[in-house]
Amino acid sequence: MATVPGQLIWEMVKKNNSFLVKQFGRGTASLRFSKESNNLYNLNSYKHSGLANKKTVSIQAAGKDQAVVLATSKTKKQNKPAALFHKSVMKKEFRRMAKAVENQVEGNYYRPDLKKAALARLSAVHRSLKVAKSGVKKSKRQALKIRV
Amino acid sequence: MAAAARPLVSVQPLPASLNDMVTDHVTTVALPDVMKASIRPDIVNFVHSNISKNSRQPYAVSKKAGHQTSAESWGTGRAVSRIPRVSGGGTHRAGQGAFGNMCRGGRMFAPTKTWRRWHRKVNVNQKRYAVVSAIAASSIPSLVMARGHRVESVPEMPLVISDSAESIEKTSTAIKVLKEIGAYPDAEKAKDSQAIRPGKGKMRNRRYISRKGPLIVYGTEGAKLVKAFRNIPGVDVANVERLNLLKLAPGGHLGRFVIWTKSAIEKLDSIYGSFEKCSEKKQGYVLPRSKMVNADLARIINSDEVQSVVKPIKKEIKRASLKKNPLKNLNVMLKLNPYAKTARRMALLAEAERVKSKKEKLDKKRKPVSKEELAAAKAAGKAWYKTMISDSDYTEFENFTKWLGVSQ
Repeated sequence: MATVPGQLIWEMVKKNNSFLVKQFGRGTASLRFSKESNNLYNLNSYKHSGLANKKTVSIQAAGKDQAVVLATSKTKKQNKPAALFHKSVMKKEFRRMAKAVENQVEGNYYRPDLKKAALARLSAVHRSLKVAKSGVKKSKRQALKIRV
Repeated sequence: MAAAARPLVSVQPLPASLNDMVTDHVTTVALPDVMKASIRPDIVNFVHSNISKNSRQPYAVSKKAGHQTSAESWGTGRAVSRIPRVSGGGTHRAGQGAFGNMCRGGRMFAPTKTWRRWHRKVNVNQKRYAVVSAIAASSIPSLVMARGHRVESVPEMPLVISDSAESIEKTSTAIKVLKEIGAYPDAEKAKDSQAIRPGKGKMRNRRYISRKGPLIVYGTEGAKLVKAFRNIPGVDVANVERLNLLKLAPGGHLGRFVIWTKSAIEKLDSIYGSFEKCSEKKQGYVLPRSKMVNADLARIINSDEVQSVVKPIKKEIKRASLKKNPLKNLNVMLKLNPYAKTARRMALLAEAERVKSKKEKLDKKRKPVSKEELAAAKAAGKAWYKTMISDSDYTEFENFTKWLGVSQ
């Protein structure tokens, strides 16, 4: 398959695709999010899109607690969706994971422009896993409930 | 003309347990040129919206509706509006308004007619372009995923399965096959999505809706797989020779998940031809040419040919500087007129001179005059008076001697 270039795909996909979420933002739903798994900011934009780029990075929570899956897509296997992703499950402490992510994304010049996004997402996922594990804490300063 | 040498697509083998035939080892098929055609969502959208009008059935209001009365207007003078009213008496209907679109029981505005133009004609070439585009789009995983099909576990796109699938007879084996090739999640999605349609369509014979699953395209006429696959929810079946845009791009959106059989893919070349070679089945038809053969902008821009001729990036940004008034700001004035420096210097010096000399003069005047100078000044005055008298002619006349005082 001649790799149809990302620009072309983006033009077709940006307005309308099954991952597009047009919900929030004042007025006519101006914030566009994207539910693809390999979109780091979940923003519907060319740079972050998992559909239009050959090289994508995705960071998701894995099934077991505290484990995070880092997946990068391989450029040569664009038309083999099953074999497309290079998945690795990480269960180390946060600093080590951050180092690993940074190396994968920027160290080998894979997608240096996504480094910040990848690290940000890592922290977000990691934190959510911690919260999920220990239960959502109620703040002690919660306003007193007025009981009738 | 084609972008590259034709890459190979491997044919997924079906496990021998499903059928008695010998499984072929993994073979490959060259990618048909159709899949490299330009993808034009605009054309597909246009053709799809027109083609889908072709299966409409006409609807119209009865042509007699609203007119089956002999109503006449009462005219003016009876304190009622002038709308035609039903004649006669003895019933509620008598005296009610009739005939107008605003009247209860009148006919509607512009009653719908059966001879409305329901069907649309589309140019054959456009229809072919759209189908070709849709086929090409179905081979790109991004587009298929964007359309919503679950193809993450599909081994390769375009998905080709061996011809032994064409002789599958039982639906249960068909489902097994789908699971083998990773297409089952998509069919599952379709099955899970079956729901009752919201809205009045429910009572108009359109009760259920569901998502679309994979489209199976087979090559040989009368293949048994049609019956095996057709009962699986979401799955459609089609013969290569009769591909339907409404199935390839449902809703006008490109990128349906298509599963080809080996013979189907091999036939594509003869049906659609290539970019240079005419198609065998469609007379004189050649695949449409794209505006840009290589549309990968990033690669073009970063290529050696372009980069070697391109000027370097301007990193420093020249910003507009604030305008300063040369009449007030000396440095800016000097930029415009270097002589201004010396001119100003001369002016300053001259001014200083002037100030100095004026000061001296004033000082001198203000200084109290000393006695000697005073006496000298007075004596000089008297002497002058005397010379004035002697110089003048008045001394000759005797009359003036008295007040001229000292004479000679």
